[in-house]
Amino acid sequence: MEFRSQKIAYWYFTAALPLFVLQIVMGLYLAYSYTFTVPQSVVNVFPFATARAMHTNLLVLWMLLGFMGGTYYIIPEETKSEIFSEKLAYLQLIALLAVGVIALVGFFFGWTKGRPLLEIPPPLNYIVVVGALIFLFNVGMTMIKANRWTATQGTLLGGLVFLAIMYLFGVPFYKNEVLDWYYWWWVIHLWVEGAWELITASIFAFVLMKLTGVEREVVEKWLYVEIGLFLFTGLAGTGHHYYWIGAPRYWLWIGGVFSALEPLPIVLMLIDTMRHVKERKNPIVNRLTWTYAVGCAVMHMIGAGVWGFLHTLPQINYYTHGSQVTVSHGHLAFFGAYALLNLMTFYFAIPRMKGIAEYDDTRGKYGFWIMTCAMMMMGLTFGVAGVLQSYVERVLGLGFMTAQSYMRLWMGATFFLGLVFLSGVLTTVTDLLTIRPKVQAQQ
Amino acid sequence: MTKKTAFWIFLIGTISSAAVFLWATYDMHRQVVTLAHVDKLSAQVVAGKKVFEKHNCNDCHTILGFGAYYAPDLTRVVQRIGEDGIRFRVKNPEKAFADSWRKMPQQNLTDAEITDLLAFFTWVGEVNNNDWPPQDSKKRISRGEQMMVASVGVSPGAAVFQSKGCMNCHSLHGTGGTFGPALDQEGRRKTVEEIEHYVLDPKGVNPKAMMPPQKDNLSQRELEEVARFLATLK
Repeated sequence: MEFRSQKIAYWYFTAALPLFVLQIVMGLYLAYSYTFTVPQSVVNVFPFATARAMHTNLLVLWMLLGFMGGTYYIIPEETKSEIFSEKLAYLQLIALLAVGVIALVGFFFGWTKGRPLLEIPPPLNYIVVVGALIFLFNVGMTMIKANRWTATQGTLLGGLVFLAIMYLFGVPFYKNEVLDWYYWWWVIHLWVEGAWELITASIFAFVLMKLTGVEREVVEKWLYVEIGLFLFTGLAGTGHHYYWIGAPRYWLWIGGVFSALEPLPIVLMLIDTMRHVKERKNPIVNRLTWTYAVGCAVMHMIGAGVWGFLHTLPQINYYTHGSQVTVSHGHLAFFGAYALLNLMTFYFAIPRMKGIAEYDDTRGKYGFWIMTCAMMMMGLTFGVAGVLQSYVERVLGLGFMTAQSYMRLWMGATFFLGLVFLSGVLTTVTDLLTIRPKVQAQQ
Repeated sequence: MTKKTAFWIFLIGTISSAAVFLWATYDMHRQVVTLAHVDKLSAQVVAGKKVFEKHNCNDCHTILGFGAYYAPDLTRVVQRIGEDGIRFRVKNPEKAFADSWRKMPQQNLTDAEITDLLAFFTWVGEVNNNDWPPQDSKKRISRGEQMMVASVGVSPGAAVFQSKGCMNCHSLHGTGGTFGPALDQEGRRKTVEEIEHYVLDPKGVNPKAMMPPQKDNLSQRELEEVARFLATLK
């Protein structure tokens, strides 16, 4: 840690980690509900819908806290100056956490906007917007005052502004369901395929630069190509969500072509990471961050790239749309691209903020491998369930519950894999919160 | 490649893709008027959408394929189970799903709210959405029927029974829905003619029947085939 204000990041990270654990607990309730019968009396009080709203909103909240914390860590080093206002940064953290907690408790009492993944109701939405504005103001002012621009921080700021603007399209009430879904994807898809990818690419570039010691010129050149491809394929690639919502027929073409190209930037990112790792100039300290960096690139490729590619062609999507295939893709993609990115950033930054040069990474390694293997297996069990569902329900035309009965075994397997995943998460979170210096073995 | 070239790749890629996207968005707004028949988007439909969102239905069900996947898609739910079927399920989930291993919460909706909800579902069901979902598509299912008849060797009536969604409510040999009675021995109770008559107008035969009339759902040939098939079950 070179600057005092980088410490802000620590509070964002420690706030994010318990939310991650809670997200997984909610996920287990969901998988349990798929497999076993929850009594009517419980369903009336705590339905699947409420648990799902919590599961997905916790995901967004902990990931955004991770991105924001990451930003507060990176910006001082990139601009060579302290953050504009530390007080604003803490105020914003408190505001976001307060909104998060109120929203989660509110869901329990049925206070919801009723639109999946964007359930936070209007009054809270405005606080989120204000929080985002404070954040952008603080980060922007730091950059302007320092007046030392790099491609990495430019991409980061661009991604964050993009993220904030897109959020606004999810705020209004749309009378027309078709237009509702149309703009709903401006938030969901353009976040994960646009804004979040920009943030990922720049955080990734920063960490890679620091870890490998490869020149800024080389890393940033590839950063431009990557984000160029991300936006080229991702913007019009939104079309693969517009096939069956009542949008014009040409979206089948636009969506099909652009989303077929979507894996390209991810492949590039993977190759780029591998090359940097190979051509590193710095000696290897803390192997775990390497494991996370390579793991993130590989799982990003599998989950977002390959799994996404498999079912975005309209001819296939006609049968797999709105099935567990989507769930399989969603889990692998979010875990690979964003959960691992955040954890990599935490493992990179937390020891530095605590002044630990070299840490004991035994527990951390267990955590990584348990989580990654369990998630990969979950991707497969969700996937099998989804293919069964697509075939039985969509191709054969049998009833919904008939298809569900075939899937039950696989959802059960998912539940048990979820328990394994939770153990990996608990290991990782405990390790991050109590990270300790490496004790040199006695010769 | 220099960093400057890379920057231009970024800029041109982004701008061209954004141009395609924004143009199509503009055109979408023009075409949605006919594709989603905006003229039928009444105040009641909007009220129904609000009911749908107030009770967070979309976090269990999908509609137009989006939402959660815990419960059936609702895009063509009116065509599939009829207005009475929806009304009964929403009002008495504990009865409707008593034998099901998956439950639906009691939302305590008023009759007026359910009526609004039905208007919303009816409107969504008529959106021109490239013939999705496949299981509720008239065009695709007839091909699915042919495939089943040819490849599995089932009778045409059995294919119709499976593909027209009868098994959403009824079961055969323990497979299928539990909402309607099991039809394993239907042939003992009714003749071909009686079954045909019942399927066309269930309420005419039994005023308490929950089953929606299948006049629009089945062609004459399909009706004859399915009745002949059910009459053989003894």
